[in-house]
Amino acid sequence: MKLHKKILTHYQSCTSPVDKEGYLSKKKQRNGSYHRRWSVLKANLLFYQERPADRHLLGVIVLEGCDVRRADADGRFGFCLLFQGPEPKSYQFAAGDEVTLESWLRALRSASHSYLSLLLQNLHIQYQEVKQHQGSGDSSPSNLNLGPAPSPPPPSSSSGLWSSSVIIKKSPKPWHKWNTHVTPLNVPTVPSYAEWPLVGSNPQEEFRVLHELYGQEIKKARERWLTSRQPPEENIQEDLIDLT
Amino acid sequence: MRFNEKEMVHLSRQPSEMVAELGMRGPKKGDVVKRRLVKLVVNFLFYFKTDEEEPVGALLLEQCRVEKEDNLTFSVAFLEDAERKYLFECDSEEQCEKWIDSIIKASYEFMRRNLIFYRTEIHRLTGKDPLEQYGISDEARFQVTNGLQHSSRDASSM
Repeated sequence: MKLHKKILTHYQSCTSPVDKEGYLSKKKQRNGSYHRRWSVLKANLLFYQERPADRHLLGVIVLEGCDVRRADADGRFGFCLLFQGPEPKSYQFAAGDEVTLESWLRALRSASHSYLSLLLQNLHIQYQEVKQHQGSGDSSPSNLNLGPAPSPPPPSSSSGLWSSSVIIKKSPKPWHKWNTHVTPLNVPTVPSYAEWPLVGSNPQEEFRVLHELYGQEIKKARERWLTSRQPPEENIQEDLIDLT
Repeated sequence: MRFNEKEMVHLSRQPSEMVAELGMRGPKKGDVVKRRLVKLVVNFLFYFKTDEEEPVGALLLEQCRVEKEDNLTFSVAFLEDAERKYLFECDSEEQCEKWIDSIIKASYEFMRRNLIFYRTEIHRLTGKDPLEQYGISDEARFQVTNGLQHSSRDASSM
């Protein structure tokens, strides 16, 4: 399959926003050795090259349908991009330190087009509701000076999700609420009509995207929990019953 | 330049609303019109030879201009050279317009701009950041930019 490289090369170097860039160690697929690569994350694409100034790109990884996971197997601050499919494939990387690793994990997890599409749908709905409430004269603490609002560019994506008007149930459960240092989230007002996801043209795809979205929350919460957990107490090692 | 080809082929098989057999012509002078099964998946335009499993190629739909050429034809142009256009012939004007609309809206950059618009507006109207509930408020990709390239660079140089 031909991937038009000039288009990609141009996109990598043009002025569109760079979502993250930096050096990463990338594991070679063939011989398992790690090589330092300047990596640039833009949209749902992870580009890599030898040095920042290089015009020649070594490669690009399209980040659709991949799982981003910590992978400490090689004893570094490692992560991998895991693609499920007919032939599961994993791309291994390592960062220089924990902070950098976490930053890349966050950036990569929110990189896919499907993720953005889902977020956009949610915000579109929220926006419409907010406008509705504003219009009906609901008192809101914020700005009441409503001039003629600019009509937003109607967003839609080419996947079946938009045209079938999928409505996602409001506000995924705040999984991280059990962290007592976080103030409770404000749950958006419940709309007056029941909201259930309508079946679009491909329920499997919709579920996968929803699962991914909520799954990321859980992953974050789990990681936070793992790092904040107290070390097990010594006396658990002892027998509960003294048989001597 | 390497790319994750197997995953791209797998991606090209995902269901899409925009799939059709169109007459496709490349940008070079000698290129002729060929019937191709054209499929829009995320921000890529895949094109297949009819009845083939693997796409012939894929075009990344970022930094491109999509235009109506005539009633049945639209073009996609890349880079600064507006003359280098890929041409697509449709069966109806309606189909042609639908493709133009879909391709524009499939662009990641287009979607990002919309997201930032909604985020800003919702925040302005309610005082709350709608991205907070997802824990992604600080992600560089969802920040309001002034149109210039900005990046989240690592302090470590490894």
